[in-house]
Amino acid sequence: MLMSVQQTSQKKAAKAARDASKYWKKWHLTWNVLSLVAVAAAYFENKLVASQEMVDNKTYYWFLAVYFAYLLIVTVIGQFTNGRLHNYNGHFAQLNISLGVVLIIQDLLTEKFAVLEQPFFVSFAQILDQMRENAALLWASTLSSLGLWVVSFIVGTLLGVVLGLGMGRYRQFNYWAFPYLKVIGIIPAAAWMPLTMVIFPTSYMAEVFLIAFSVWFPVAFMTIGGVQGISKEYFESAKTLGFSEWQIVRKIVIPGALPSIFTGVYTAMGLSFTMLVISEMIGAKVGLGWFINWAKGTGNYTQVYAAIVIMAILFSVLFALFTKVQDYFLRWREKRN
Amino acid sequence: MGVLEVDHVNRRLQDNNGQEINVLDDINFTVNPGEFVAIIGPSGCGKTTLLRLISGLDQPEDGQVTIDGDRITKPDYSRGYVFQHGSLFPWETIEENISVGLKVTKGHNYDKELVKHYIDLMGLTGFENSYPHQVSGGMAQRAALARSIIMKPEILLLDEPMGALDAFTRADIQNVIYRVWEQTHTTMILVTHDIDEAVYLSNRIVVMTPRPGRIKEIVENPLPHPRSRVSEEFAAFRHEIQEKLNFGLEDVQEASR
Repeated sequence: MLMSVQQTSQKKAAKAARDASKYWKKWHLTWNVLSLVAVAAAYFENKLVASQEMVDNKTYYWFLAVYFAYLLIVTVIGQFTNGRLHNYNGHFAQLNISLGVVLIIQDLLTEKFAVLEQPFFVSFAQILDQMRENAALLWASTLSSLGLWVVSFIVGTLLGVVLGLGMGRYRQFNYWAFPYLKVIGIIPAAAWMPLTMVIFPTSYMAEVFLIAFSVWFPVAFMTIGGVQGISKEYFESAKTLGFSEWQIVRKIVIPGALPSIFTGVYTAMGLSFTMLVISEMIGAKVGLGWFINWAKGTGNYTQVYAAIVIMAILFSVLFALFTKVQDYFLRWREKRN
Repeated sequence: MGVLEVDHVNRRLQDNNGQEINVLDDINFTVNPGEFVAIIGPSGCGKTTLLRLISGLDQPEDGQVTIDGDRITKPDYSRGYVFQHGSLFPWETIEENISVGLKVTKGHNYDKELVKHYIDLMGLTGFENSYPHQVSGGMAQRAALARSIIMKPEILLLDEPMGALDAFTRADIQNVIYRVWEQTHTTMILVTHDIDEAVYLSNRIVVMTPRPGRIKEIVENPLPHPRSRVSEEFAAFRHEIQEKLNFGLEDVQEASR
């Protein structure tokens, strides 16, 4: 009886901690209405102010319409329910206003008054129109980049984790391998680029190598630290409970090092995105990096912007996925706020 | 049947200046199956070191520790060890922590009913799926006890398992340990610096002195079971142990010199 009460209070506390990051702002309805006004204003501004450029704004209008509809839905649902959407809406209401304002400003600066001049600065409407026009090629490029990244990232991460666990756990292996790791790992992956182009039979393999190279070092380094930071008592209790060496690695070393491993992987993700784009720009015939380089060659900077916007979305999604995976695997840790 | 012999054991370690210090000096005693022995003494007397030698986590420089004549060379789940802070694995739930020893020694066909039994016995029902950081210190220590006891050890080594707890929780865990000892007749060796705890739980008290760590005296506990923490006999025996540990005035005089 007492325990179940304690447990529910625990669950409540945990839920409160989760919700604290997405709170319901004061004046929420005002902010919601203002955000709707801001997006509507963005539409009328674009429609009514005379443009300096010939721009097909249809895609932009579609975008604004969908965005407006989305805001309307979350406002209504958020107003009349008390669940996650309610909190979510309350938290992002003010940000949505700012996004509406940013859309208006960029449109005025580029398309309308050409303060920022074409073709190096383009409006969001132009970028969206370009994305629609080149949808097939951009989609193929995105998938190709994503595929390359996933393969290279997994290779690099596995290599880093295995080496890191080995060096963290086994003193002899650490003695022989760690100095080499330090010296080789510190080399920026980009420095290998000219060599990889001639050494590897295909440019795909060269790209995988470069991206994996940018990943393995931070992962290995953090894994070593993670293993070495595990409290001695865990190993000793494991021994007094009859663990074999393999069981110690699987049940103590890996979970104990996991927080640190995730920190390494987080760092490595940023580096790997950089390396993905650079290596695609140099060697590839496909991918977003190649697309940017190709667009630069033809002088179509709107396409460059389109690829950049897609990267922003793609990499944000990958980071969000990473956070979800991390939260799941580290669910045993105390939440700090 | 699990006779433990500590046979003229020395343990030497190097201190920070590279000086060799005698942590344990000629330790010699026997523990019979089913006994409850408390090892007591001020910090630095080597009581934890001694417990680690018995578990097999460390090896002595001289002498040997044997069970039924077999020398202890490495840790084994037949000698359970409960650490001061429990050291439950924080990445496993309470239930996973309690069952982990069975899992690693018997594979996935371990006795799940047994795990449930110990969860009930330790009053942890309802917390099976909590992680260690979500439960109180007392509950974590109960789980740590269950994790070792479930392996049905010949000897359970308790390394100040109540040292980090408040007085109420401490008394509660002491009762849990007493009950387990009464029911299973597992040999218990308890390291502590709490005289009340030693007097309340043990059959024999090994009194140690520091620098070098030596056994000063081994005292039989005359108190009958069940024991009361507030009886006159309890107070008298407690007083006797205090005197043996130099809790008198001479200590104060020495300190003020």
